[in-house]
Amino acid sequence: MSDRLTSLREAIQQVFPQVDGVLGIRRGPGGIISPYLFHSEHPEELEALAIWPKEPLPDVLRKIQKAHPEAKLAIVCRGCEERGVVEMMKHSQLNWDNLTLIGLQCTKEEAEFCRCAKPYTVHAKIVVGEPIEGVPDPVTEKVAAMSREEKQEFWKEQFLHCIKCYGCRTICPQCFCNICTLEDEKFVETGRLPMPNPSMYHLIRAMHMTAKCVACRECEETCPADIPMAVHFRLIARDVQEMFSYETGAILEQKPPQLLVLEEGEYERTGLPH
Amino acid sequence: MIEYKSVLTTCPYCGTGCTLHLQVLDGTLVGTLPAKEHPISQGGLCIKGWNVHAFVNHKDRLRTPMIRKNGKLEEATWEEALGLVAEKLGEFKAKSGPDSIALLTSAKCTNEENYLLQKFGRAVIGTNNVDHCARL
Amino acid sequence: MTNSIPEFEENTNCFFVIGSNTSEGHPLIATRMLKAQKRGAKIIVVDPRKNQIGHWADIFYTFRPGTDVALFNGLMNVIISEGLEDKAFIAERTEDFEALKTLVAEYTPEKVAEISGVPADGIREIARTYAKAKPAAILYAMGITQHTTGVDNVKSTSNLAMLCGNMGIPGGGVNPLRGQNNVQGACDMGGLPNVYPGYQAVTIPDVQKKFQDAWGSAGPLTVGLTVTEMLHAAQEGKVRALYVMGENPMVSDPDLNHVRHCLEETEFLVVQDIFMTETAEMAHVVLPGVTFAEKDGTFSNTERRVQRVRKAIEPIGDSKPDWVIICELAKKMGATGFDFASPSDIMTEINALTPSYGGITYARLEELGSLQWPCPTVEHAGTPYLHKGKFARGLGKFFPLEFKEPAELPDEEYPFTLTTGRLMFHFHTGSMTRRSEKLDSEVPTAYVEINVRDAEKLGLNGDKRVRVTSRRGEIELDARVTDDIKRGVIFIPFHFAEAAANKLTNSAIDPVAKIPEYKVCAVKVEIVK
Repeated sequence: MSDRLTSLREAIQQVFPQVDGVLGIRRGPGGIISPYLFHSEHPEELEALAIWPKEPLPDVLRKIQKAHPEAKLAIVCRGCEERGVVEMMKHSQLNWDNLTLIGLQCTKEEAEFCRCAKPYTVHAKIVVGEPIEGVPDPVTEKVAAMSREEKQEFWKEQFLHCIKCYGCRTICPQCFCNICTLEDEKFVETGRLPMPNPSMYHLIRAMHMTAKCVACRECEETCPADIPMAVHFRLIARDVQEMFSYETGAILEQKPPQLLVLEEGEYERTGLPH
Repeated sequence: MIEYKSVLTTCPYCGTGCTLHLQVLDGTLVGTLPAKEHPISQGGLCIKGWNVHAFVNHKDRLRTPMIRKNGKLEEATWEEALGLVAEKLGEFKAKSGPDSIALLTSAKCTNEENYLLQKFGRAVIGTNNVDHCARL
Repeated sequence: MTNSIPEFEENTNCFFVIGSNTSEGHPLIATRMLKAQKRGAKIIVVDPRKNQIGHWADIFYTFRPGTDVALFNGLMNVIISEGLEDKAFIAERTEDFEALKTLVAEYTPEKVAEISGVPADGIREIARTYAKAKPAAILYAMGITQHTTGVDNVKSTSNLAMLCGNMGIPGGGVNPLRGQNNVQGACDMGGLPNVYPGYQAVTIPDVQKKFQDAWGSAGPLTVGLTVTEMLHAAQEGKVRALYVMGENPMVSDPDLNHVRHCLEETEFLVVQDIFMTETAEMAHVVLPGVTFAEKDGTFSNTERRVQRVRKAIEPIGDSKPDWVIICELAKKMGATGFDFASPSDIMTEINALTPSYGGITYARLEELGSLQWPCPTVEHAGTPYLHKGKFARGLGKFFPLEFKEPAELPDEEYPFTLTTGRLMFHFHTGSMTRRSEKLDSEVPTAYVEINVRDAEKLGLNGDKRVRVTSRRGEIELDARVTDDIKRGVIFIPFHFAEAAANKLTNSAIDPVAKIPEYKVCAVKVEIVK
């Protein structure tokens, strides 16, 4: 771990001359970590550089780039964060040309914490750490193996625990819409706890994550009620791969299915409703 | 230089004591992030915590002291406003005694501010008429 | 709180939640209970309303507001008669058990069922579950305290906890969930009429001398006025000037029509706040303070945990941090002892004068993140749970308490019991949350919750506009019809000045704590045509 940290520090210092800042995480008061933009003017600040736990960096990057569209920025990213950056680029949320990716490969322990199938970067030219194989996701497999009735029962109990903090939506690097359906009272009743129809909130969100979720699991990590919602997104991702041969973050040039304009005949082939 | 930092602080709503990061970009609040590995909030927040930055820059924020003149509150300088408060409190204390003055400290303010206001009440005014909304 | 929030997840085997809408009032304490429930801990909830936490509970009952003492006596009756009490703990660490035993013997489950509305078997079920699941924690909030018998209610919680040996152990205890970010700290810092910082009584000459020596001058040896008494005194002309820092009694206090009258009578009202609150609108001088985002300092949470507040941005407009305003005012009045360069400097003075905060320095908070008082020295690691091995007073005292009815009961003219409280989406008088777009859009204005069968009787078909009237005032608001509230009880959140629940509430107070009975008053409900 400390080796990776030292290598990351060196990688950042190498990048410093070419960029206006490097987005990473630092350890602050009481050992709590948070996103921070490091600068070449203050290399001593890299003393506080940290690598774990991870933080929702792509969304912070989006905020910075929005205010400074011309700035050259670098971001320290793990596999999931790299996928996040790629998908944001495809949805016109980031300017790819002004970005430098510093890929940080995850350890086995980190991958297991995230139940991650792809704990490594594929696009970053600068890479820190050795890539490892993905690990299985026992939680998703457990739910996938349930009968329809068992699934219904399982999710009903999970959703009753939802305290409607909107944390899963707010922290998600792929939730950047200006108008959010989850705040529309036509779909999700406002001002009620427990939500009268919590599955509306969670299943609408699951649908909106189709071909978008990058499996960073920030939503599950921030959920105070420990709802394993990434399971939805991962199961949907399997369908998306099967139906559209699309994997988030994988191929830079491939358009996500929701941005494709399908010819009339194709609707029938893909089984999409009219 | 582009400046982005996350300032670790404590939520100003209920008494749970969640901590959170205020996201500051070039001196402006741009959002809130939870604090992972914090013993209380454990990387989570409620909807109030997630929206804690929203009221700070609200247009209704009081930006200048005000003094009531002819029944209406009018803008004043700090010098005028604090001068008037000092004069009036001094006057009531001298004429009607320290206990003619009462102070409400605040469950929303910091420990240091609560300490100072009760010290002000007790040491400067000379009264124990100090309370706050603990009962409310 | 006698205990700590992390203990709930790690140690507690049973939560007895009474008078707390935890998932809305203290959401991240509520979700800690869920984590414990996953490893088998039981959640018991008793409340006039079936809140979200009631839906999570293993055992849930509604009960009649204000019958807490009877309910606790009933639980203790079952525990003692079935021999489930912790005999060793009672013998070694408590006194007056026999008196308690004699009194609660009268409160059979059947009798208490009649008073409280909890069925006798339910009382037995709660008692057995709580008594057999050590460590068990009692969690409560204003549903216990905001009664004319508030102090009796609190003593009842400690009676039950001691009876089962749940004091002085991790995961147990009596845990009032405090409603404001720093209400604990405001009390700790002496923002009370009877004590200096660290709960050092104003009536003790040695204490007075200590502060006189430190400050050059101190308060008198007599206890001052509480907030409710201040307002009465203002009306009588005894209090002529009122200085209000960051409070909004024009929404938060009971019987608002009376509060308005009192404030109008105040000759000189100074309000220091961040918004033009309902109270600030009545002021003679308004001083603009800053929000938590624009200043440094510390807050103390409900489990006595002191944590830093850090300045993120510069003050808005010409506003100033509240600590700066007080220092400038004090110096204007010719006072010395207010030359502080930073809140850290103020904390150094607090360390010296407040034994429980002696070791809570900014340097240590920077390193450790937080410290729980008592923390007397810089070597001390802080105190996660209180009363280990010994109570502060020596032996733990049982208080035999008879049940007393609330001050105002429903009658023919005012047939409903009104209870008030908070929502998840808003905070206190709403001055911050109602100015947060997303929170405001969740719940833009007040409503009243009414039981579906009561609504039928009133002829309310679905949600409709109603007028709610008490002996003190009336408000108009929308009705929300629900199964999740006891029949005969209605609930109104108190955040909304335009339909202020506190126009209706009763200012009758507990004789000792002087806390108003927000949780029970009699009202009538009529449909607005």
